[in-house]
Amino acid sequence: MIRILLSIASFALGLLLLASTASAAGPVFRDFDAKSFAALQARLQGRPFVLAFWSIHCDPCRDELAQWGPLQRRYPDIPIVLVATDPRSERPVLTKLLSRYDLRGVQSWAYADDFEERVRFAVDRSWRGELPRTYLYDGEHHAEGRSGPAEAGWIEPWLARQSGGKKRASLN
Amino acid sequence: MAGPRSELGSSAAFDAQGALWSVAKQGEHVIIRRSADLGRTWSAPRFVNAAVEPIGADGDARPKLAFGTAGEVYVTWTQPLTKPYTGLIRFARSVDGGKTFSAPVTVHADRQEITHRFDALAVNSKGQIFVAWVDKRDGEIAKEKREAYAGAAVYFTVSDDKGATFKGDFKLADHTCECCRIALLPTDDGSVVTLWRHVFAPNVRDHALARIHADGSVDGFRRATFDNWAVDACPHHGPSLAADAKGQLHAVWFDLGPEHPGAVYGRLRDGGIDGMRKVGGEGAEHPDLAIIGDRVAVVWKEFDGQKSQLRAMLSADDGTTWREMTIGSTAGASDQPRVLAHKGRFYVFWNTRQQPFSVTPLS
Repeated sequence: MIRILLSIASFALGLLLLASTASAAGPVFRDFDAKSFAALQARLQGRPFVLAFWSIHCDPCRDELAQWGPLQRRYPDIPIVLVATDPRSERPVLTKLLSRYDLRGVQSWAYADDFEERVRFAVDRSWRGELPRTYLYDGEHHAEGRSGPAEAGWIEPWLARQSGGKKRASLN
Repeated sequence: MAGPRSELGSSAAFDAQGALWSVAKQGEHVIIRRSADLGRTWSAPRFVNAAVEPIGADGDARPKLAFGTAGEVYVTWTQPLTKPYTGLIRFARSVDGGKTFSAPVTVHADRQEITHRFDALAVNSKGQIFVAWVDKRDGEIAKEKREAYAGAAVYFTVSDDKGATFKGDFKLADHTCECCRIALLPTDDGSVVTLWRHVFAPNVRDHALARIHADGSVDGFRRATFDNWAVDACPHHGPSLAADAKGQLHAVWFDLGPEHPGAVYGRLRDGGIDGMRKVGGEGAEHPDLAIIGDRVAVVWKEFDGQKSQLRAMLSADDGTTWREMTIGSTAGASDQPRVLAHKGRFYVFWNTRQQPFSVTPLS
């Protein structure tokens, strides 16, 4: 019995170590499936948030990765949620790529369901999968969605409005 | 919970004897199967590449196959490399009716670890093999010079000796979309009409068309679609192209331009589109088309909240009037559907997780 407990404990410790190693090297991805969007909305009820879909196989997506960290720290009250549409097998590549950017505070999710039409439909039934795809949800969760790079000229004024002036002094 | 992205990307084609062949990805192999009964049953899979290598088979990427004039079987695919969106265009052939395949070769001379992806394959009436792909060598040169370069380029290569050697690399066009499949259509004179998503300055991702020749020359470049979809995005949604009995070009494509966002059908006239028509509803994706004489068939898939519906529209009068139908559905991951023409009939090939390599006649 003790041996079993010990092995469970060492297994748990191993998991812990794995998790901490992953976070030191880059983000730990949360699984995004057809139920995740509803769960996210429930958790963020009454709060505005940004939802940005991207992929390692999308050139224009890379260009906008650098902006999310600074924006999140400037507007800490408005969650910025990144979702990589790449499969689980690509997570090491995703981790490596994202670790180049300072994304402290930004949530990172990645697709965990290969029936991707179902995942997309749960978010926006008119979205046909083009990337990057960004949504700005106000406090009532009415969305403003755009395909193509999420330009600072679109995002930042919106963040400023939604945060009601609660902008933190620029950190960098 | 499901693991990887659906890597169901596959292709199918009829040979001259009426057998249907399919290629798909299985692990690190391209597999080929043959069906003698219109897709009801398939042979056991054979490996095209004996030695394992990564195979691209998601989004708009998939192995392709085509036949030579003496029954040779030609297969191409993209081998992704370690860096994101880099790859090599690979080719293998069988000269013994698909029993054995040559060791795969890379068809382009350029061997940098950069984008060579989204292979397209066609064989003309003389048996010459054309392979076209999306290539970023010019973008890399521009980057070194710190110059801007919109999108990627399309290059092609030609084999005059049934795939023993390839000559190239020939540039088809600068400034093309980075992530959409290319449509190739062999014509009677041996040239191949090519339709691809272009980047018209500054960032309009409409389609362009040109004719490529076996000597590497290119002519007839023109804008083919006029939706004015201005976006720096990866649609992963390439066009399909076919010609009617009069030689008129018909196409299906996808755009999110201001006037008719979504999947659309139209006939490509110089300077405009005739008979333009929206394909399916709001969720219609990945249309494909085929033509027999003046009969036109378009297929696509459309998710309804529960299932992906396999839909079709048929015209018996060269795309003037249409009737629509639902021909299948699946409640799981699926590839893009393909419509094939064979002996006066249309067949829809659809690789789904629930029903792999399904074939449905259209009537």
